[in-house]
Amino acid sequence: MAPKQNIILRIEDLHKKYGREEVLKGVSLEVKEGEVVILVGPSGTGKSTLLRCINQLTVPDAGSVWVQGVELTDPETNIDHARQHIGMVFQSFNLFNHLTALDNVMLGLMHVLEMDKDDAQDKAMMELERVGLANKYMNYPGQLSGGQQQRVAIARSLAMEPVVMLFDEPTSALDPELIGEVLVVMKDLAVGGMTMLCVTHEIGFARDVSNRIVFMEHGVIVEEGSPEKILNNPDLPRTRQFLGKISDLH
Amino acid sequence: MEVITVLIPYVLRGLDVTLKVTVVALGFGLFFGTLLALMRVYGGKMLSNTVMLYISAIRALPHILLLLVIYFMIARIVDLSPFWAGSLSLSIISSAYQAEIIRGAILSVPPGQMVAARSIGMTRLQSIRYVVIPQAIRHVICPWSNEAAIVIKDSSLVYVLGVPEILRQAQYYSGRNPTKPFNAYLAVAVIYFLLTFLTTRGLDALEKRIRIPA
Repeated sequence: MAPKQNIILRIEDLHKKYGREEVLKGVSLEVKEGEVVILVGPSGTGKSTLLRCINQLTVPDAGSVWVQGVELTDPETNIDHARQHIGMVFQSFNLFNHLTALDNVMLGLMHVLEMDKDDAQDKAMMELERVGLANKYMNYPGQLSGGQQQRVAIARSLAMEPVVMLFDEPTSALDPELIGEVLVVMKDLAVGGMTMLCVTHEIGFARDVSNRIVFMEHGVIVEEGSPEKILNNPDLPRTRQFLGKISDLH
Repeated sequence: MEVITVLIPYVLRGLDVTLKVTVVALGFGLFFGTLLALMRVYGGKMLSNTVMLYISAIRALPHILLLLVIYFMIARIVDLSPFWAGSLSLSIISSAYQAEIIRGAILSVPPGQMVAARSIGMTRLQSIRYVVIPQAIRHVICPWSNEAAIVIKDSSLVYVLGVPEILRQAQYYSGRNPTKPFNAYLAVAVIYFLLTFLTTRGLDALEKRIRIPA
């Protein structure tokens, strides 16, 4: 689906230091509605930090983040309220261990969106169906495979009806044969018009569904462009070298 | 035989006192211990360090010494019966130990759980209430049953304030029957064993019951 023109996410000159190490050295990025943007780059270059600075799970030192025109870096902004609309999927799934798949999806509906129990249950079942796991609704995370856990985690985010979804290496912790089922769900989302910002090394996924690939290294964006350009004919030798390496792996 | 027919019924007169002291000490200890643990984990540096100092002070002193000190402090300020003075003293002592047990349980919940809860828009308080605490409870039962076993036996300390719990009753009996000092204490030992055994078994069963299926 072709992205529209209105900007959902705007990041401006974001800086973040951990101790003496500067992880983000002034990152600016815009993501339009319906756009799928892939963040790639060597580990330790600040990709995950960038995602966490968007919903303020990590508070940036300087710079600003807007989601749908609301500045999240403004201390006046109610960040709990803003986070409802920003879905986040983690490398390690982070499902609530003490709750069934259904209750994992329902928790936010009941306590954040304050839906009553029956409505929350219906909505949660619908989201589980969407990721193909309606039959596992009574299972606890420990009774699900990694791929299934990640799909429940995606359902949990989707239930909140986010305007943008952030994926932080959603398939990196999975066995190779479980990666596919998660990518299928993500692909469906992308095709359905969800605005997505994904840190991933799944080059095939990037090629097939993304609108733009952003290459980051040492805390800055080095190069960005369409998947065709970045994957086949990047401007910088460093981009070519890095993508060459991860393409070899896949 | 005498132990079962005569002594245990005699000593049992003190059982309700022993149980009340234990329940008050564990109950208030749990309440204050939870508050202290939450301050320790989520309270920020100042509060956390203050609480740590308080806990360290209590843990550094013999229980009997604290009991006497607290009893004479409290008794001077408000008019408290020896029962309440003793029980509340024990609960203050227990709260320090329980705080550390609960803190450990909270910290054993993976940090990703809190992060995930915040990421769907839950407040910090909601995340603690609905995500962290329910998981911490599962980790807390095993070490807590250890503390419960200790408090059951520590309830005997209130006898120095003259509270007639089972050990005190045994002493009365021995005083009146000086030829058999051992039997009364044997009866008390049996009762303590049963109390501790049943409590830890019960908590074990509870732990199994609420275990997260995997």
